[in-house]
Amino acid sequence: MITVEDLERVYLMGKVEVHALRGVSLSVKQGEFLGVTGESGSGKSTLLHLVGILDQPTAGRVLIDTTDVYRLSAEEQSRFRLGRIGFVFQEYALIQELTALENVYLPSLAAGNSHRDHEEHAGAILEKVGLEGRLNHLPRELSGGEQQRVAIARALVNDPGILLADEPCANLDSENSRNIMDIFADINRETGQTIMMVSHEAWHRPYFDRIIRLRDGRIVDAGDVFDDEER
Amino acid sequence: MLQKIRVMLFLAWRSIQRGGRAGLMLNIVIIALVFTNMLLLPSIITGAVELFNEQTVDYQTSDILISPREDDRYIADVDTLLAKINRIPGVHRASARFAMGGTLIYKGKTVSVPVTAFYPRDEVEVTLINTKMKSGTFLSSGDTGEILLGNFVAGSEDESEDFFASLGGVRVGDSITVNFENGVSREYRVKGIFQTKSYTVDYMVFLPWEEMEEIIGHENTLATEVLVKTDEGVDLDVVKMRILSFGVGEKVKTWKDVLSGLVEESIESFNIINQISMLVSLVIAVVVIFVIITIKAVHQRREIGILKAIGIDQDIVIGSYVTQVLFICLLGTILGFIISQVLMIYFNAYPLEFPDGNVVPVFEYVTMLENTALLFVASAAAGYVPAWRIARQNILDAIRGQA
Repeated sequence: MITVEDLERVYLMGKVEVHALRGVSLSVKQGEFLGVTGESGSGKSTLLHLVGILDQPTAGRVLIDTTDVYRLSAEEQSRFRLGRIGFVFQEYALIQELTALENVYLPSLAAGNSHRDHEEHAGAILEKVGLEGRLNHLPRELSGGEQQRVAIARALVNDPGILLADEPCANLDSENSRNIMDIFADINRETGQTIMMVSHEAWHRPYFDRIIRLRDGRIVDAGDVFDDEER
Repeated sequence: MLQKIRVMLFLAWRSIQRGGRAGLMLNIVIIALVFTNMLLLPSIITGAVELFNEQTVDYQTSDILISPREDDRYIADVDTLLAKINRIPGVHRASARFAMGGTLIYKGKTVSVPVTAFYPRDEVEVTLINTKMKSGTFLSSGDTGEILLGNFVAGSEDESEDFFASLGGVRVGDSITVNFENGVSREYRVKGIFQTKSYTVDYMVFLPWEEMEEIIGHENTLATEVLVKTDEGVDLDVVKMRILSFGVGEKVKTWKDVLSGLVEESIESFNIINQISMLVSLVIAVVVIFVIITIKAVHQRREIGILKAIGIDQDIVIGSYVTQVLFICLLGTILGFIISQVLMIYFNAYPLEFPDGNVVPVFEYVTMLENTALLFVASAAAGYVPAWRIARQNILDAIRGQA
């Protein structure tokens, strides 16, 4: 369960204040696949970054289950991100000196799992996203779609309750995009993982349980929960 | 903690393994050269000091030097003293020396130096001057009318080659006149010229003891100093204490005691030069590593942001950079050690030639360990600072590649 309360984020660009978020409140239920849409500059990515503890809010708070994440110390936030949140970036964000398998098991290694466990687990997740033959390839040896699948596998390796994805298909062709969306849908369906995804592709709509729309840092449409027919 | 170290080592090793090889090799070579540079000057200084010590023992003081009591000019009843010292356990042989001022004259050139007398049979047991004959032969007991000159006293025909006033190129077989301070004047044939390369010793002149007695006009029972050679491997301080316990009231000093005041200042000056050189080397190492890690961290700013975003602690990220630096440092010091050992082999075969002797650099393991520790600490600090500066950046700024 994610609870966002009166979240504000003001950036300073030179001497000019930019209000990226202006008091956003939101609840995301356990197991919900939430789409976040809006025009460029509406605050979608800022909201996702704040939920993912990658930024610092100007005001308001983010509760994940019962934890007020911005009351944690920097080290506690790191541990929280490692164990509870998986993040998929638009531009894959893989470590170039690590193979696909190593990129995936790095968070598991950091979480303290044994060598055999994290290798086996990472291999299994990569297999699940269709990369069983590409385990020992470096990111530069993989296509964009493959890299994004590695990024998804990495986000899943510690079995986090929450998966955050910031336009994960933005740099992919339609076929790869569809594959990636299918993977997210499968994960959501099979493991009941809460997913919050920034997207402005209309064809993504059927994948989401609910869509919220932001404009100028405010939620203008909190969205209704779709039933199967609406999708 | 152990977990953090595992991740740190994993990231560092993969970066070394899959990062640029040429850059890595260049860094290692730079550290190796810095390490070698840090060793070379102290080793030359140590070599020079050891040469000076050897020259002092071999040609000037032997192992223990006995000199007159505080207010006396001479050691009295030297024959009794020699007999006593020669009986002391650990003493190989004692040799008395008696010096009298004299002026040496050859073809209008004059040199005023003390003329020192000794028993040649004793002297060859306590010093190695007899092994350093440049021409002619060493003195023998019973030699009359013959004198032994140091190389600087004999000098060169070309005055520009002389360090001190000399007789202008006296050769073995030439005759020189010696006017002693007691008014006696004698002609001597030069029997030999020695060259030890010690400035002090090569400006000495020697006569046999009996010849000096002729100059004095009576049996000589005085000495200006007694040189004592000890048996191999004995502790000089123990022998010194034994000599004192045998009732010898003269000043008894080991060669180290004699040199302590004399060379301490020189060594201190050498050490200052050495420390400046070491500091410069360290600064070079620090700057090189700082630049390398800064470039690397800036280049990998985005990846640092990603690592933090996926939950890798900032300390682990910084630690992985410091580990890489320490790895470079380790390989650099190993390579530097190999280079220094090769240099040592070379300098043993071809010593550095200085006017006062051939210096073989001495690589001391203590210095090597100190330098290694210094280099590691300095490098770790030089790697830590840029890694910390980049790693503490806001995650999103780092991912976007913004400074």
